[in-house]
Amino acid sequence: MDRPSAAAHPAEVLYEDAPCGLLVTATNGTIQRVNRTFCSWIGWSSDDLVGKRRLQDLLTMGGRIFHQTHWAPLMAIQGSVSEVKLELTHRDGRKLPAVWNARLVQHEDQQVHEVAVFIAEDRHRYEQELLRARRTAEELLAQEQAAQQALHAAQVERDRLQALAEDRAHFAEQMVAIVSHDLRNPLSVIDMSAQLLGRTSLDAMQLMAVERLDRSAKRATRLISDILDFSRGRLGAGLKSKVQPIHLHQIVAEALSDFRVAVPSRTIHHCQIGEGVCIGAPDRLMQLLGNLVSNAIAYGASDSPVVVTSAIAEAAFSIMVQNHGEPILAEQLPTLFDAMTRGEVAAGEATSVGLGLFIVREIVLAHGGTMNVSSTREAGTIFTATFPSAHSSSG
Amino acid sequence: MDERAPTMIQRVARLLGTGRNIVDVLKRNNIRVTGDGPATMVFAHGFGCDQHMWRLMAPAFESRFRVVTFDLVGSGASDLSAYDKDKYGKLQGYADDVLEVLDATAKGPVIFVGHSVSAMIGMLADLKTPGRIAAQVMIGPSPCYINQGDYVGGFERADIESLLETLESNYLGWSSTMAPAIMGSPAQPELSVELTNSFCRTDPEIAKQFARVTFMSDNRADLARLMTPTLILQCTDDLIAPQAVGEYMSRAMPNATLRMIENTGHCPHLSAPSASRSAVDEFLNGLTY
Repeated sequence: MDRPSAAAHPAEVLYEDAPCGLLVTATNGTIQRVNRTFCSWIGWSSDDLVGKRRLQDLLTMGGRIFHQTHWAPLMAIQGSVSEVKLELTHRDGRKLPAVWNARLVQHEDQQVHEVAVFIAEDRHRYEQELLRARRTAEELLAQEQAAQQALHAAQVERDRLQALAEDRAHFAEQMVAIVSHDLRNPLSVIDMSAQLLGRTSLDAMQLMAVERLDRSAKRATRLISDILDFSRGRLGAGLKSKVQPIHLHQIVAEALSDFRVAVPSRTIHHCQIGEGVCIGAPDRLMQLLGNLVSNAIAYGASDSPVVVTSAIAEAAFSIMVQNHGEPILAEQLPTLFDAMTRGEVAAGEATSVGLGLFIVREIVLAHGGTMNVSSTREAGTIFTATFPSAHSSSG
Repeated sequence: MDERAPTMIQRVARLLGTGRNIVDVLKRNNIRVTGDGPATMVFAHGFGCDQHMWRLMAPAFESRFRVVTFDLVGSGASDLSAYDKDKYGKLQGYADDVLEVLDATAKGPVIFVGHSVSAMIGMLADLKTPGRIAAQVMIGPSPCYINQGDYVGGFERADIESLLETLESNYLGWSSTMAPAIMGSPAQPELSVELTNSFCRTDPEIAKQFARVTFMSDNRADLARLMTPTLILQCTDDLIAPQAVGEYMSRAMPNATLRMIENTGHCPHLSAPSASRSAVDEFLNGLTY
């Protein structure tokens, strides 16, 4: 088609060079008229298109399906479509995103479609960006939801396992308490029977055997006593201490004389500082002293003495047990008083089940006191239990 | 349209004197019942638009038949809250709905008229409950849109991907309640502006899934099992259902008649309504309806 001369009607010039593509097609899409703007966009001349091609032939396949399933019915039912975005295919195969408006018009005795189209490359790119962003957001949301679900499932599983572990621990503690309690009766029978045997006339071998029997029964009783104290503590009953006025030095001296008899090979010194009546539970204090001195004998150097100091001051009294030998490792100190913690001893020499210091601390706490430990090669290992409410009569 | 719909549904429900379940189906599928007669014609629209597709076809049968039109769930004025991605992830989901639509509305023998993908939906409904549908009219049907080996469906997978992209960027007024200010159409002066584009308005997400379910479907194996008398209306120039597809179907089906209609496009009931009507009339007369 020739460019209209300058004399051409202005409306004709506007049609041909309008800032949009303008087409007239038959209702089946066959192009009847097309303006120069559209031709320049798509790379075909008017002669290539008019009467030879249908509008839908210029679309991508997706666009052609959409044209058939949406555009054509809309044109038939409402006689117009608007703001439809379909891609044109340029003569060289490039895709050109475009926005379309069309309407059905009666031209003399036939119906035609009038079509206006705008290239929308920038808008298309922007929409693609938006769609990508939305897809990314949806994926992130899906991931987030999946993570939340996984977290929830893990929490449920953790709670289940925790409840299971608590049930088991509770059961085990109950069982230990029951078994320990029930073992005391047969042990006391063994102990009593050994003592009865000891009063009869025995030869030297028999006597040694009875003494071993007696010692073993007493040790077993002590172990069970520890376990019972521990399980009672854990079960919430706490250590029951019957507090009363006591003579501290006297109690300590009696306990140490028992040790000297039991372990004649070791030297045990007793230092007494201050005088006065203290308030405490004598049986528990003896238990505390027993555990600390047993430890000092078990872990201390065998050629150096164990030094026990009982001190009475204005508002407090204390029991201090010191031994020399290998110091306690620094990393063991924080957990030293926890249950089931035990230092290195030769196999078969264990006299406790790892509850000794735990019980010591429980006794101190039950008295409202504090427990300290220091351990160096030079000063040795020193356990100090300090109790309030001493009634000093000295000075 | 939306404001009128419930009133119409209530009216139909009263007419049918039925219970709550049927009211749900009527609402779900935006069912319209018109006309009366000893048999029922049920018209099911295809992918893209809604029951308005039948405006030049269905009314012609109202004097002789009970005429039922409806929207597939996800399309038109159907109840979008009923859209279930799993159920409608297969054509069988739509076929199950068709059987409920029939139970809710049909009287006497049922003639099922399905356009495009609804032809296969009607076939699946028929096969699930043999005898429920007395005759099938399939307009522009295709049992499989994608070329496979010797079979010519007309499309490659990439074409369907291209369609999904096109659907993604065309909301057709979905997201706004205000229709675009369209130029008046002298040929259809009675249409109000609010209806502009609404016939093809679909939630873009639903449109994409429906497109995928439609164009990825392959029901070729079911064709031989359909014993119901069937009319295949095949357009001479249809991008969506090429002639070869209509010919393939009439060969594969035991009781099908192929009728060609001189028409460009996929919707002869809109662009060649009188030829479509008379082809259906002829078929129904042959069956003495």
